[in-house]
Amino acid sequence: MTSALGSAPTGRDDSRARPTPTRAHRFRWARAAGTGWLYVLPALVMYAVFVLRPLVLTLQYSLYDWNGIGVARWVGLDNYLTVFTDSDLLKIIGNAIVLIVFFSFIPVALGLLVASMVRRITTGAFGTVVRTILFMPQVIPLVAAGIAWSWLLSSNGLVNQALRAVGLGGVARAWLGDFDTALPAVGVIGAWVLLGLCTILLVTGMSKIDPALYEAARLDGAGPVREFLAVTLPSLRQEIGVCLTVTIIAALASFDIVYISTSGGPGLQTTVPGLEIYRLAFSQRQVGLASALAVVLMLLVLACVLPIQRLSRGEKP
Amino acid sequence: MAELLTKFPRRRTVLLASLLAVGMTATACSAPGEDRSSTQKSDAAVKTELGTGPVTLEMYAETGFPLAKALADEFSKQHSNVTFNIREDQFTVIVENAPRVMASDNSPDIIRLPTMVDLVKDDLLKNLDPYFTAYGWDKFPASQLMQLRVGENTRGTGSLYGMGLGYSVTGVFYNKKLASQIGMTQPPATVAEFEELLAKAKTGGVQPIMQFNKNTAGINFPHQALQNQFGDPTQVADWIFQKPGATFDTPAALKATQTIQKWAQAGYFTKDANALDYAGMVGEFQKGNGLFMFNGDWESANLDKSMPGNVGFFLFPTESPGGKHVAMSAPNTFGVSAKAKNPDAAAYFLNWVHTNAKAREISVTVGGSSPGGPSDLPVPSAAPNTVLAETLKASQQLGAENGAVDFTANATGGIFAAAITPEMQKLIAGQQTPEGYVKAVQAEYQKELSR
Amino acid sequence: MNLSRREQLTGRVFLIALIVVTLLPFVSMLSAALQPRGTVPSGLEWPSDPQWGNFADAFTAANMGALLRSSLLIVAGVVPVSVLIATMAGFGLGQLRVPGGRLVFGLFLLGLTLPFEAVVTPLYYQMQDLGLLNTRWAIILPLIGLYMPFAVFWMRAHFTNVPVELSEAARVDGSSTWQLFWRVQVPLARPAIASLTILMFLWTWNQFLLAIVLVDDATKRTMAGALGAFQGQWGTDLVLLCAGSLLILTPTLIVFLIFQRQFIKALIQGSVKG
Repeated sequence: MTSALGSAPTGRDDSRARPTPTRAHRFRWARAAGTGWLYVLPALVMYAVFVLRPLVLTLQYSLYDWNGIGVARWVGLDNYLTVFTDSDLLKIIGNAIVLIVFFSFIPVALGLLVASMVRRITTGAFGTVVRTILFMPQVIPLVAAGIAWSWLLSSNGLVNQALRAVGLGGVARAWLGDFDTALPAVGVIGAWVLLGLCTILLVTGMSKIDPALYEAARLDGAGPVREFLAVTLPSLRQEIGVCLTVTIIAALASFDIVYISTSGGPGLQTTVPGLEIYRLAFSQRQVGLASALAVVLMLLVLACVLPIQRLSRGEKP
Repeated sequence: MAELLTKFPRRRTVLLASLLAVGMTATACSAPGEDRSSTQKSDAAVKTELGTGPVTLEMYAETGFPLAKALADEFSKQHSNVTFNIREDQFTVIVENAPRVMASDNSPDIIRLPTMVDLVKDDLLKNLDPYFTAYGWDKFPASQLMQLRVGENTRGTGSLYGMGLGYSVTGVFYNKKLASQIGMTQPPATVAEFEELLAKAKTGGVQPIMQFNKNTAGINFPHQALQNQFGDPTQVADWIFQKPGATFDTPAALKATQTIQKWAQAGYFTKDANALDYAGMVGEFQKGNGLFMFNGDWESANLDKSMPGNVGFFLFPTESPGGKHVAMSAPNTFGVSAKAKNPDAAAYFLNWVHTNAKAREISVTVGGSSPGGPSDLPVPSAAPNTVLAETLKASQQLGAENGAVDFTANATGGIFAAAITPEMQKLIAGQQTPEGYVKAVQAEYQKELSR
Repeated sequence: MNLSRREQLTGRVFLIALIVVTLLPFVSMLSAALQPRGTVPSGLEWPSDPQWGNFADAFTAANMGALLRSSLLIVAGVVPVSVLIATMAGFGLGQLRVPGGRLVFGLFLLGLTLPFEAVVTPLYYQMQDLGLLNTRWAIILPLIGLYMPFAVFWMRAHFTNVPVELSEAARVDGSSTWQLFWRVQVPLARPAIASLTILMFLWTWNQFLLAIVLVDDATKRTMAGALGAFQGQWGTDLVLLCAGSLLILTPTLIVFLIFQRQFIKALIQGSVKG
């Protein structure tokens, strides 16, 4: 699931809410146990059949050489070996990691900047309009974002038009078709989609910071930068964690935007694991290799997200 | 999630164990594909009558090429019980989708095919040999259908797996006004003359070549045109047909690649070629933004309409004067899916396309290509002074000189998408050397053949 | 705390710049969509003679009526069921605290960061075996399963915070568990359920990968999948492509504008990636 986490309605610690089991409680639990399971079961069944089973099958496929039609041949870990040694596949994984810079770091950094500028003016009618507009990229299909930006970044698109208008026609180019700029250009699309979300999340987080903290910092003679580092940043640890988690998953598992705007080109410049899995599995019919790449992608997401979760919660009370 | 996972470190092993347990029961540990059988009966009796019952033919065709639809409409007009349900996609999308679509239960009856060997290997294509016999396609010139035959992992011999909706020839279209502007009075006779014209155009401020290179490498057209001239074209054909020992790493291919690199460095292609797609190229050429365009006769009818009288065509010139012309020429291949619900009607349609007078006329006027079919049927003529007439003539000339070769892009299922396209994009962007290019293409070829 | 005028001003300037950047792609698409067919438009120029008819062409070319119907059918198949069974599971795990519930919840959490790409290949063969490929069920059923980790996580978080005493009281009244669920807990959970519904709607409507892999017929896809097909067919006709894209994303925007308050709340809470 590419959504997530953390800012769900509290209840992070269920042990606190739990009352000490008294005899009455035990009695109730025992009685409710059977019926209780009936409530959990439908969700669990759907999950098991359409997520867990495929997940295990992905693991299984990854150990075979299979064209999706005939009988598969057991190859052990060969597919994984290919993923970690094939220079093209390594480049593809590297592309996804580069995208993190654009999908995650830029929206979060820019979001922090904007949020600290606008800390308190997102109320009232102006605030509503701002929020509504900033959320629009979140609401439309990523496919539409891809189409819109492909047009914007094309030879005749708005970006080049603007560059020519200010006398920078020399740098005008087909941004998505140029070896040097294609991946950053895809990154810009992702940044556009995610910037609004990060900004609003951070603004919301900032509005919860106790103003007394700022007063105290000012009395200590802190300038805006010190204030930001000493008060704002630590207080937003959780929101930043959420932003990073969501955007990193979006970067690593990106598919829609790339499929639409560049279909992975030029060369392999913008091919990402999601697209390669799709190609390998359904066009080149190398289901085993596709599955191995899928497993690696899954682990990569966990490897990036788990530390962030840990850090962003770390010293919180 | 994470915070919750880390909270129960001891649980994690339990979780994994139970997950595995779920999985084991779910998959029962058999190898994937074991319970799927896909045996194909190619010797089943075939019918050559259409019958009168209602039939819906599912067709999967290419966007921007109105021939398939025009033929389908005419067929329905003549046979009112047959309707067509046509799905269209850009060629790149078809290439990507074909195996998956054809493996599904909703496989189309008639489909525009990219490459055939892999599809045959995976039992996704219908063997047309029974129809070949039943309809007497042996009366067609054998060379016409040669490219559509697939044998034991090679192409060019073996069973028939496709038919052409027109048989195309490729060459160079030129803008007559721009040509006279740079002093070109007649088509170049040699590669050297062609290069002189390119240089003249460049210095004269005319964009020499308008060629697309996005999604699929359009610059492979000029590349192969050169490769055909720089060596023995049978070498190229053997490689395409996957003859044992054939290689792309030849002096001819290398020289062609070096020439392309030279052209790219000289600015003969547009700066945004890697971002220019097929339709964009045609659009720009029509607007008069380029002198030459490497393309095929399928675009003739369209060009006659959009730039009447202002467009000419020539077969790519030979290396030395008076040499034999060689050009990429291929059927606009359509196949019948192995899972087709109406294979007999589909084959009837394909036969009709080749033999019905009205259909042959549509092939020429809409498709711009020679309709193929038996050699004793007349080829419909095109209006004089059109580029359509020129491409038809070129097609006949090429037939007479026996200079047709298939496209290198069709060598294997993945060669175009996995090697030629990305490597060609790199080459013209200065990110790949000619040596590296031929080696990379050959490496992908070997990788696919060894599979 | 009072902000200085200067601070106010820079803040506003920043926001307005951000808004312009956000809106430009839409405006540029609109300007392209209004150019005459067959021309190659340039970045942003208001056409002298806006071709509003392009939208009508795109409506026909995209088969918009069928697309809307299909997306609605898929949403109708996914959202109510997902919300219902997730609410039940959240209730079971968060309130009833069934034995072994932690283990089950842990299983759900496993799926929380799962990229869809990781399971789409087996899902394809699973749907093929079930004979559901190229039907809307091929999108509906897996989506319900794939949404469960988040949905159960979400609803359980709500139910964990509802004091157990409330259920106690209801029990004393002699209600059955089912009555307790419907009459007491579900009404209380309404805000959480509303947010979840909005998120599920949005994710379903915009689901692309499953749509293009499991369903070939664009008129049986989600909106995003249909847009992909539209681009696949008309990608080279920029004017029509822009017109069609705008048409296809309009319903989402309309729904968003109507429910924007709830949407934004849900999105902030759910920290969504669409």
